[in-house]
Amino acid sequence: MSFVGRNIGVELGRRTILHGVDFSATAGQVTAIVGPNGSGKSTLLRALCGEVRCTGRVAINGRDTSQLKGWQLAGMRAVLPQAASLAFPFTVIEVIRLGLSAGVSVRRDHLPSRALEAVGLAGYGGRFYQELSGGEQQRVQLARVLTQVWEPVAHGAPRWLLLDEPVSSLDIGHQLMVMELMRDYAARGGGVIAVMHDLNLTAMFADAVTMVHRGEIAATGTPAKVLTDATLSRAYGCNLRVNCQPPQGGTWLLPHAATLRAG
Amino acid sequence: MTLATCNEIAVADPPDRAAAARRLSLWLGLALLATMTASLATGAAGTSLWAALGDLAQGRALSRVDETILWNIRLPRTLMGALVGAALAVSGAVMQGLFRNPLADPGLVGVSAGAGLGAISAIVLGAALPAGMMALIGAHLVPMAAFAGGWITTLVLYRVSTRGGRTSVATMLLAGIALGALAGAVSGLLVHAADDQQLRDLTFWGLGSLAGATWGKLMAAAPIILVALLGAPFLARGLNALALGEAAAGHLGIPVQRVKNLAVLAVAGATGAAVAVSGGIGFVGIVVPHLLRLASGPDHKTLLPNAALLGASLLLGADMISRTITAPAELPIGIVTAILGAPVFLWILLRRRMVVEL
Ligand SMILES: Nc1ncnc2c1ncn2[C@@H]1O[C@H](COP(=O)(O)OP(=O)(O)OP(=O)(O)O)[C@@H](O)[C@H]1O
Ligand SMILES: [Mg+2]
Repeated sequence: MSFVGRNIGVELGRRTILHGVDFSATAGQVTAIVGPNGSGKSTLLRALCGEVRCTGRVAINGRDTSQLKGWQLAGMRAVLPQAASLAFPFTVIEVIRLGLSAGVSVRRDHLPSRALEAVGLAGYGGRFYQELSGGEQQRVQLARVLTQVWEPVAHGAPRWLLLDEPVSSLDIGHQLMVMELMRDYAARGGGVIAVMHDLNLTAMFADAVTMVHRGEIAATGTPAKVLTDATLSRAYGCNLRVNCQPPQGGTWLLPHAATLRAG
Repeated sequence: MTLATCNEIAVADPPDRAAAARRLSLWLGLALLATMTASLATGAAGTSLWAALGDLAQGRALSRVDETILWNIRLPRTLMGALVGAALAVSGAVMQGLFRNPLADPGLVGVSAGAGLGAISAIVLGAALPAGMMALIGAHLVPMAAFAGGWITTLVLYRVSTRGGRTSVATMLLAGIALGALAGAVSGLLVHAADDQQLRDLTFWGLGSLAGATWGKLMAAAPIILVALLGAPFLARGLNALALGEAAAGHLGIPVQRVKNLAVLAVAGATGAAVAVSGGIGFVGIVVPHLLRLASGPDHKTLLPNAALLGASLLLGADMISRTITAPAELPIGIVTAILGAPVFLWILLRRRMVVEL
């Protein structure tokens, strides 16, 4: 089972943002989309979830998304936008319940609280969303998205998390927590597609990486295959070297060395 | 921590505001019954509701005067006040949900102004119509024209702001401001052409009044308002999801375009009908939803019914004030709602700065 985009082209205004790209993600894996600012990562994700008009075809679990109704798609995949806003003073738990009303999850009643617990925000349910910090808000949105497709597999078919920079405003502890959560979702049979900026976390957690550069796919494959000196240096416009210790020494810190503490 | 381990942990849900909102519905329902009774019992004439009810209970017939006052004046006025109050409050709440902006209001997108232009045209230009035609449609001319004006404004607004089947909320708001200004300007031109009697009519109508309530007007407005009021709760889930933005609502499986279309129809219908029978009554549509959001949260499932109940009670209360404070004369109710509503609105803005930063 897979999430596939074929020959996807997107024009916004009079500019061509994506030039007929192919993308594919497999259920049971974490697929990362990386690339520099403005390369078209968010646009690709928005094309995959039907948010922007695109040429080409998108298929989820073998079914053409243009043939599926909105509510059917809502039961198959959930989408975390890069930037989220909220119009009225909803509490955290009320925001998460919005996800509940969309998906088809069993044992629904306690899901919102469990989702909050999963993103490390147990006990935040009664607080106003707008009064949370940026990172807390991002995790609440993630909890809402999780609630929508809580079980990674439904009716024998995998469900999908489409996440646009899910860890961008999180501290390193919560980054690891959320990445673990994504890995766990994939391990239990679901599909995860995440736009990532942190290449270390990508290398650690992604099973497959697609690099977008100037609206084209620059490379795709395993992290080891994609995250190479040549590919990275070309895409990001600076000289990059992987697996290289800091020449000047000093303090440096990699998420690879961290271990999660229980509770 | 992983999702799998989370499944085993039993977590208590925090107390939710939905239960509080449902309790509030009960109280608001009782309050509406009380204000409706009070409204039937109050008036410039000396007729007493209680004496009349006592007479009826003992099988005595009412005097002609009492019957006329209770049945032909106070009852339609009370029902109309309740309906118009509910319509204004609910169209405000729906509009705010649609625009994701707690400051949005039918007055803001020009629907009220358009309806007003229709009414003013009818008052000023109606005099030029042939006498035979006036005899035929005279009584209904102003309400019909106000209603038509509201609809036309909404349709134009829609043409301007909808591209390829999608409505841009920002364009719609700006277009609404432009349309409102245009309708206001044309109304101003027409006022120049009005004679003295028409000017008095215009002033009274412009400030809003329930004084003209008759069974006929009530029957003309009630079906549209009731359809809008009963239909609005079906939009609640969609409006809740829209708070996350149109794209996110779509990802939640909400048929966004259909929700928006229906919301606009509900607003245009309720506002047009309300303006037609009672003129421009301000602040109900913006104050009532605000107060309810403060009391029991922004969930539209309870917000919409509660807004109808509270809007009806508040407008009846304002109407009683307008009828009694300068008795036997009568203040336009719009003055009362503005004097009561505008400071409340300012207070809300001061208390919750967050409503203006969207
Ligand atoms: N609505 C729009 N209209 C016109 N151009 C747009 C629009 N949205 C995005 N673009 C352009 O499309 C290009 C790709 O944008 P996109 O958001 O996909 O980048 P990204 O790879 O997600 O970048 P970032 O890392 O900053 O999130 C950018 O050059 C951007 O300017
Ligand atoms: Mg982006």
